[in-house]
Amino acid sequence: MASITRASVSMPSLSTSVNQSQRRISGMNSVSFPVSGRSMIPSLRLQRGLQVCCAAKQETVDKVVAIVKKQLALPADAAVNGESKFAALGADSLDTVEIVMGLEEEFDITVEEESAQSITTVQEAADMIEKLVEK
Amino acid sequence: MNPHYCCLSRNFSAALPPLLPVQLPSRMETHLWYVVPDEVKSAPLLSKYMELLPQYERDHVLGFRGDQLQKSALLARTLVRTTIARYQVDDHLDPRSLRFKRNIHGKPEVEWETKDGFCPPPLQFNISHTSSLVACGVTMNSLIGIDVEEKRRRTKNNILAFAKRYFTAHEVEHLNAIPDSELQQQEFIKLWTLKEAYVKALGKGFSSSPFNTFTIRASSGIAVETLDSPQNLTNNWQFALLELMGSHYVAICLERQETGGAGKALPIKLTARKTIPFVEDELVSGTNAVVTIGGSVTQF
Repeated sequence: MASITRASVSMPSLSTSVNQSQRRISGMNSVSFPVSGRSMIPSLRLQRGLQVCCAAKQETVDKVVAIVKKQLALPADAAVNGESKFAALGADSLDTVEIVMGLEEEFDITVEEESAQSITTVQEAADMIEKLVEK
Repeated sequence: MNPHYCCLSRNFSAALPPLLPVQLPSRMETHLWYVVPDEVKSAPLLSKYMELLPQYERDHVLGFRGDQLQKSALLARTLVRTTIARYQVDDHLDPRSLRFKRNIHGKPEVEWETKDGFCPPPLQFNISHTSSLVACGVTMNSLIGIDVEEKRRRTKNNILAFAKRYFTAHEVEHLNAIPDSELQQQEFIKLWTLKEAYVKALGKGFSSSPFNTFTIRASSGIAVETLDSPQNLTNNWQFALLELMGSHYVAICLERQETGGAGKALPIKLTARKTIPFVEDELVSGTNAVVTIGGSVTQF
């Protein structure tokens, strides 16, 4: 499997599936200060001690939720949020791989098996996506 | 072979009746046990099953969203505990008393009590479940992985797109060559269950054996070929593919224990039983509930 992750979105040739606001965030050298005028939750990055690192934007979480609901055929009003575990929602291993495939397509990333295996919740998926998109 | 029924009283307000004990599988045998969740309807019985579980397993079951998922999670834990308890290893008659742990790769194992003079048996097991079937395979000594899936399971993604992303080129070719989309879907599910069973038998987690690093060849017999040693068909593992009740595929992967003359593999000796723990057990191997569709299997 190709292990090339998509490069930083500051390159114009990249897929347009990455949305405008993500492109702008990643174009900055640092994401440690809040972005004004946006509706998403700013990322926090603490240097030392408690590393509350890179909480994903709400928009990313919402997209992951949508993909999960679609894969598991959950009703649109099903309560799914960052803490929701895929397995608890009924995802078996085939569902999980399909969800990862959906995330790859939506965000134009490639997810290695090691990473895929460690994603168990919506939040973890969103955080991983952001890391991959940032690179 | 006559099915063996053991129907016990359905009054579950009293203590549960004893489990029908069973002899441990011999070194050459594989036992397959399964429960059909739709056939387990008694709420008092399900409560009794819940009582067999330690608190952390109950919490785990209740963490699933919705009754159906909770039920199959509960039945999976119940099946593995009651099945192992039946073998009466060291008088462990009580399914409640079994403890489980995970190996360093996360594969579940029995944690036998360390007692003087007690030598734990090399009992191996593996569970798989969908909402419509819960299964447990047991061997003595042989690493085992099993995977079950509904025959009519459909992927959300296009099969070939999925296979190109996750399977090997040979497997994509094999699927691509099937003109009928219904058959192609079934072949995909068979491949998926066989690949899952292999990785589960290895017990090292999915990241140690990504699906595109090994090919399952299922033309004459079933074999696995790892990409890093394509010349040697990996002879350590043997497979069985079963069709259960006409509705499910069950893939079993076993570590090969012995060979016949000239390194030829001996068939898998399989005993299959359908069960509702504490209520009824039915020997189904050799009936049309369990049809061998791949691999070399003799049913007992």
